[in-house]
Amino acid sequence: MGGICTENRVSFGPETLNWATLCARAEEALGMADQFTRRRVVAVVEGVESALAALVYGLVHNLDWGVIEAARLSPEVEARFAQSGVSLVDFTTRYEPRPAATAAPKDGQGDHVPGRITVLTSGTTGLLKLIAHSKATLNTFDRVRDLPPNRWFVPYQIGSYAWYQMAMLGLLVAGQDLVACDAGDLAQGFEAALSLGQVTAISSTPTFWRHTLLSVDESLLVSAPIRSISLGGEIVDQAILDRLAGLYPDAAIRHIYASSEAGAAIVVADGRAGFDASLLKRDSGAVTVKIEEGRLFIRSAYGNRDAGGGWIDTGDLVEERDGRVYFCGRADNSMINIGGQKAFSADIEAHLLSHPDVVWAKVTARRAPLVGSLPVASVVLRQPQDTEAAEIMLTRHCDGRLADYAIPRIWSFLEAVPVRASLKS
Amino acid sequence: MKDRHKTMDRVAILAVMNSVLAKRGRAAISDEAQTTRAANFRSLDFSETALRIEMQIDRELAFDAASMRRIATVKDVIDFFETATRAP
Repeated sequence: MGGICTENRVSFGPETLNWATLCARAEEALGMADQFTRRRVVAVVEGVESALAALVYGLVHNLDWGVIEAARLSPEVEARFAQSGVSLVDFTTRYEPRPAATAAPKDGQGDHVPGRITVLTSGTTGLLKLIAHSKATLNTFDRVRDLPPNRWFVPYQIGSYAWYQMAMLGLLVAGQDLVACDAGDLAQGFEAALSLGQVTAISSTPTFWRHTLLSVDESLLVSAPIRSISLGGEIVDQAILDRLAGLYPDAAIRHIYASSEAGAAIVVADGRAGFDASLLKRDSGAVTVKIEEGRLFIRSAYGNRDAGGGWIDTGDLVEERDGRVYFCGRADNSMINIGGQKAFSADIEAHLLSHPDVVWAKVTARRAPLVGSLPVASVVLRQPQDTEAAEIMLTRHCDGRLADYAIPRIWSFLEAVPVRASLKS
Repeated sequence: MKDRHKTMDRVAILAVMNSVLAKRGRAAISDEAQTTRAANFRSLDFSETALRIEMQIDRELAFDAASMRRIATVKDVIDFFETATRAP
């Protein structure tokens, strides 16, 4: 079956199926694959089980394929697919497809590429983008040596780059089972999976963990036999690495820098934020990186097809300090100009997160007279506190450690970690 | 609908300035005649005070750059904000 580990399994709550069964169910529902072989198709799915069934069907038959949740469709999104020559195939009613394509390719745009996988990203603009990948570029775990058998909790949004990465791990790497989550509240889904003893590994974002650490009983978290943790999607700060290392001292904790364009590029396993600057000197291998004008550029064998193996401007700002490269945020929205002095949200957030009472922090710029803008902070505290006392506590925490202009001036204290569908905040 | 006529008196403005200073561990203002330098009231404190006043009166203040340049004492700061909050 085209390199697919058909005996790897996927759990959906208490039910566990292998990929062979999922593929058989999709074949029963969708019928012969030759109806799709001359088209670029995205299957419209409802729920994670039909998404994974549709995905394995597309891979087994080497189709030009992808999946999207029905809930993400809108007239604008359908128009975007139509412009790109994508046919939508309805797979929403569980295994009872309505086979009509909902979008017709325009002239000259109806190309199809066997084995292409269409990954959807909305980026920071909210505009849906279609990124062309393949089994090879999405199989980023092939670089991880000695990966023991695992059961991976998959919290990501169906059809996103991170979701495909995890699906490919389960499909292509022997011994890697998946634990799917359909719950509206991911922390609840994770809690349920932990209670069933299903999870030994997880890939997620720092925001997911901060939400989980507030929502799930710590004794349950500690009791889980988790031995592999991957973090990515956002800047991974030292505070969350230390917290997870404290909870799971025997687990391999990695943070992975990846984007839908560059693919997974940098894997860091030394327990420290940022990455070793020696990577900048490496000029061969699957991934090379460079810094130009403070921006990170990547050349990666895991990049999307359109990149053509060239340098990709990640749009991420980085800074080299003491042999380490640290992420400072996005070039377009992370720098705060305070009366001509520059401060980076990521640096301020990292310092706030080093306070033991802070679970989550977001720093943004707010327009202010005289100095142009001031940093303002939104914070989630481990325990509710008087806001005035909390402001003073955190201002003192910053005093002498951050430049005066970088210390947040206005604070808001939220009750819960805000989590977007991308698991970022 | 926002209340366009919400204003702040001198006592309330001074209270905001003092709360900004207190948060940074600095002494409260003892005399309106003090220069802003002597009161340790800096440009960042001025900007924070402006934002906090805007939050209290629920609207953005219009600033007159020329008046801002003339500010030398604590009294000037209070006068400035008093005028700004009264502006339509």
